[in-house]
Amino acid sequence: MRQYLDLQRLRTGESLPPITKEPITKTQLVRYAGASGDFNPIHTDDAAAQQTGLKGVIAQGLLVMGFVGQAITTWAPRRFLKRFTVRLTGMAFPGDRITIEATVVEIASGPDGLRVLCDTAAKDQEGKIKLSGRFELLVSQ
Amino acid sequence: MADKSKVGMTFPPSVFKVERVKIKELVAAIGDPNPIYVDAEAAVSEGHPDTPCPPTFFTLAFQEFTGHYFRVLDALGIPLERVLQGEEEYEYLRDIYPEETLTLTTTVESITEKRTRSGVMDLVSVRTRFADESGRDVLLARSLVIERKQK
Repeated sequence: MRQYLDLQRLRTGESLPPITKEPITKTQLVRYAGASGDFNPIHTDDAAAQQTGLKGVIAQGLLVMGFVGQAITTWAPRRFLKRFTVRLTGMAFPGDRITIEATVVEIASGPDGLRVLCDTAAKDQEGKIKLSGRFELLVSQ
Repeated sequence: MADKSKVGMTFPPSVFKVERVKIKELVAAIGDPNPIYVDAEAAVSEGHPDTPCPPTFFTLAFQEFTGHYFRVLDALGIPLERVLQGEEEYEYLRDIYPEETLTLTTTVESITEKRTRSGVMDLVSVRTRFADESGRDVLLARSLVIERKQK
């Protein structure tokens, strides 16, 4: 079994260990398009992206959300994740190296376990925010 | 321009089957090495009956495979090339596994016009309920779609 964070010992205000992804590649955007079924050409075809005023292809926002999903389920088991919400605030491009951070904002113990609420953000190599969000874990036995 | 008369409207449902190979494709595209999504034994060791869906898997249900999202945008009068995704939220009511068939039903929650320095836009909030074969809700999704109307 994988090693997760010791969630029972988390404290409010604590930062979780950041996770940095490999740089985004154009091949990855094509692969994500095929996997997700989002075939908007601004993610896969530089010429089409340029026609809409972009420099070239941009990453799918939901791919970056997928990176955050990966980070959450690296910190905690998948079955604990109860709510996951993101706001897409910046475009991500091929070559960007995305780091996912999270901070505990609230912990509450209830009859069904420990509820842990965290703020999260995905940033590029320059610290520019691509996405900010929040997730809620229900830590049970 | 988003058709404000459609606020409160519920669209005809789409059916989405959870397929094992699509879970594999998605985690490979994300680059997520977590074995629980592809290896049933690893999933069982964490208390799952089978490989669960990764957190953002349900975006597939909106896309080409069902055409759901395109029908909603079309009914609202929003051209695809003017659309940006603003927000996405999932509330997981239970874990969902391969071979399940889900029915998704979308309702328009609100349409708000916003003026910013970069132009005028409509913010369209839609809620989608995913129900399992027994009709029970298993996942709730909310998307905020931005339509860029003019410069």
